[in-house]
Amino acid sequence: MIRSDVLVIGAGLAGLMAAYTSAKQGKKVTLLTWGEGTLTVNSGTIDILGFDENHKRVNNPLQGIDNLPADHPYKKIGRQALQEGLASFLELTKQHELTYIGSMEANQPVVTAIGTKKRTAYAPLPMVLSEQALTKKKIRAVAIKGLKDFYGDVMIENLKKSFGPDKDYGVIPIDTGLMGGRDITIQDVARYLDTPQGNADFLSQLEDLDQDTLLVLPPIFGSHGHTVYQTISQEMKATMVETTCLPPSVPGIRLRYAFRDELRQLGVDIVESSKAVASEIEGTKAVSVIANSASNQRRYYADRFILATGGFYSGGIEMRDFEKPIEPIFHLPISFVKGEDQWTNEELFGSKAQGYAKTGIETNDLLQPVNKEGQVVLDNVYIVGRNLAGFDFCFEHSGNGIAIASAYKAASVGMGKEA
Amino acid sequence: MSERLPEDELTYYTGDACISCTSCMSNCPVMEATQDYDGPKLVAPAHGRMHFSEEDIERSLELCSNCKTCDRSCPNGVSVSTLNLLQKGVYYRTHKHPMRDLMISRPEPLAKLITGLPMGASLANMGIKVANSLGMLSMMGLAGKRTMPAYTNKTFLSRMKSIKQPKSDKKIVFYVGCSINYNTPEIGEAFVKVMNHNGYEVLVDPAFVCCGSPLIVTGYLDAARKNVDTNVDRLLYWKQEGIPVVSCCTSCSYALRKEYEELYGEKQMKEAGSNVYDAFEFLEMLDAKGQLKTDFKEESIRFMYHQPCHLKSAGIGTPAAQVLKHVPGVAVELADAGCCGICGNYGYRKERYDVSMKVGEQLFKRILLSQPDSVICDCPTCRQQIEHGTHKEAIHPIMVLARNYKYE
Repeated sequence: MIRSDVLVIGAGLAGLMAAYTSAKQGKKVTLLTWGEGTLTVNSGTIDILGFDENHKRVNNPLQGIDNLPADHPYKKIGRQALQEGLASFLELTKQHELTYIGSMEANQPVVTAIGTKKRTAYAPLPMVLSEQALTKKKIRAVAIKGLKDFYGDVMIENLKKSFGPDKDYGVIPIDTGLMGGRDITIQDVARYLDTPQGNADFLSQLEDLDQDTLLVLPPIFGSHGHTVYQTISQEMKATMVETTCLPPSVPGIRLRYAFRDELRQLGVDIVESSKAVASEIEGTKAVSVIANSASNQRRYYADRFILATGGFYSGGIEMRDFEKPIEPIFHLPISFVKGEDQWTNEELFGSKAQGYAKTGIETNDLLQPVNKEGQVVLDNVYIVGRNLAGFDFCFEHSGNGIAIASAYKAASVGMGKEA
Repeated sequence: MSERLPEDELTYYTGDACISCTSCMSNCPVMEATQDYDGPKLVAPAHGRMHFSEEDIERSLELCSNCKTCDRSCPNGVSVSTLNLLQKGVYYRTHKHPMRDLMISRPEPLAKLITGLPMGASLANMGIKVANSLGMLSMMGLAGKRTMPAYTNKTFLSRMKSIKQPKSDKKIVFYVGCSINYNTPEIGEAFVKVMNHNGYEVLVDPAFVCCGSPLIVTGYLDAARKNVDTNVDRLLYWKQEGIPVVSCCTSCSYALRKEYEELYGEKQMKEAGSNVYDAFEFLEMLDAKGQLKTDFKEESIRFMYHQPCHLKSAGIGTPAAQVLKHVPGVAVELADAGCCGICGNYGYRKERYDVSMKVGEQLFKRILLSQPDSVICDCPTCRQQIEHGTHKEAIHPIMVLARNYKYE
């Protein structure tokens, strides 16, 4: 739509959540996207906070947030928006047959693509390691013939470290018959299990496992929702748990389908292949965003603009000259860590957040962009997700939590439903 | 004089921006339909580099349907599908085409010949039917299970001569395209009616030729060049005159507005492309300025709208769905079920029929489940695929506007 109530720029989790929250309030929403957004590379787990500033493990995310520095995005978003945003996210996913299990007050372990453990606040049902699952004596990694990026032997070595030496470990090979010449992906197998034939084939290869077995598999139980997992679970004596995976990440893709379906039903107009490049400003208001079509520029008018274009990786923030980062659409002030020596750490995954990763747009508590003096620069523009300054989501494991909470808040403030 | 685009805008170099994130793979409808296709990431940005310099070809390149879903998924602007087209072009410079490629790549000269003869269209339509029932189309390498598009007895361009239009200072040039001129002239007539009603005079330029898309997707990049140059000349001429060129076919318009530039990398092609609009894109722009006439009769009808892939790639959203909101009683539901699978002449190739139908399965299911009164879609080959796959009528959305305006 050329004229809408709300224009959202970007289709990562923050952008989709902002569009959903706005549309649910009855607003006319247009979503601009260039590239399909980040959910195909998203783990699908909702990390709220895994580590604090000093890389100390956080067991209770809600408590952990209280101890964050004042300029951290969570401090601006606030507890209420986080809780309401997550509740809204859980409602949406439930409607689309995705069950998320967890708590804001306790992180839980899930198994990664290589068999190590990572912790998250909300995990998709197939990834949840129930207490009962942890008591199983036999741990089996399923190695699927021809599958790329999931190796049973590596998995088992790491599972031994994760689950301890007093269990019985092994690899079970299965064959899906999906051989056409190329390496098969986890998504291929998930689609195969969408079909009744794939379902039956799979079961026939694993049905003789006993109930003291925990099967560890890549996320192959269906490309949409969790129903395939639930159905097969009922047929099997063994307990099954999905791991996170390398892209194409099926748990992220399941989330994307849920959002796509919901946004379509709510009448959100998604404009693909549309790169926002500039804006038209009058005083402290944005009037329109200018986006490149294949051959021209188009203006999109709205009352409210939500910026969800991401950080350096997604082009939401660019830096052609050192220490001169820019936000290319509204040219908003950028906050960043100064000094070359502060920019990166020697270790990629060390005990300190990366300086560059904190680059972002400074906002007030309503998530409106502010200048150094703290004055609002544009009062109908809101900043969400990775565009926000002051956090390294990889380091602290907070990406999806901040995306959901900030998007919910940005779409709710001043809409009669104050977050 | 032709001038090259700067290096960072050339398709050839966009491959270097690939970060192997697999977005293209997770969305590729052909990968979903068959395990034989290695997928956009491996075929275009990865193998592409090597095959531009070698004789040999990526074994699954021919499976790319040019639906451009990969390009749209890519977060880094890699022109994946165009890299594939370029590879094909290089390959066919030194390799022989299958015989039927001549026929499926050149709809215009064939149609000209047929519709130029007295009774030519009727005889040809009958002939195609007979040939098909004798299995001859299949023998020629065409998908015999399909109905071939029928020719009209009177082309749009010849009908246009007898349409009396009100003179106006507001003018557009209608890029007719082969499908409307030779197969479905009623769409062109509807378009003229709609534009006239909105105060525009519609010009046609007989110097325009086929957009060349059928040649391009069949690997005749050098032969297509003639079409490209002719059309670019005309587009630039009309741009200079300040008159936009508007098309009712989303694949024609995508070729004119973007594919030329992506394939041949010349500045003037980009310049020419900026003067091209889709019919509903143009109408939506009028609407945004408050200039669209909205004096519609009521029609109680429920449509399902299939947004063609090449319209998605145009980066202009869903203008037909937006404009149709003005017609009282008309409900438009978005199919949002991916590519239809026909992809120009892809689904007409005998060996691609199954993949083409498999790709379309999700759309067919969605339509059959929703049971709309009719399907609307801006692309002629998508419409054929939808009718073939669902036995539901599929019409161009301009027909809905044309039949509901209150004319004096």
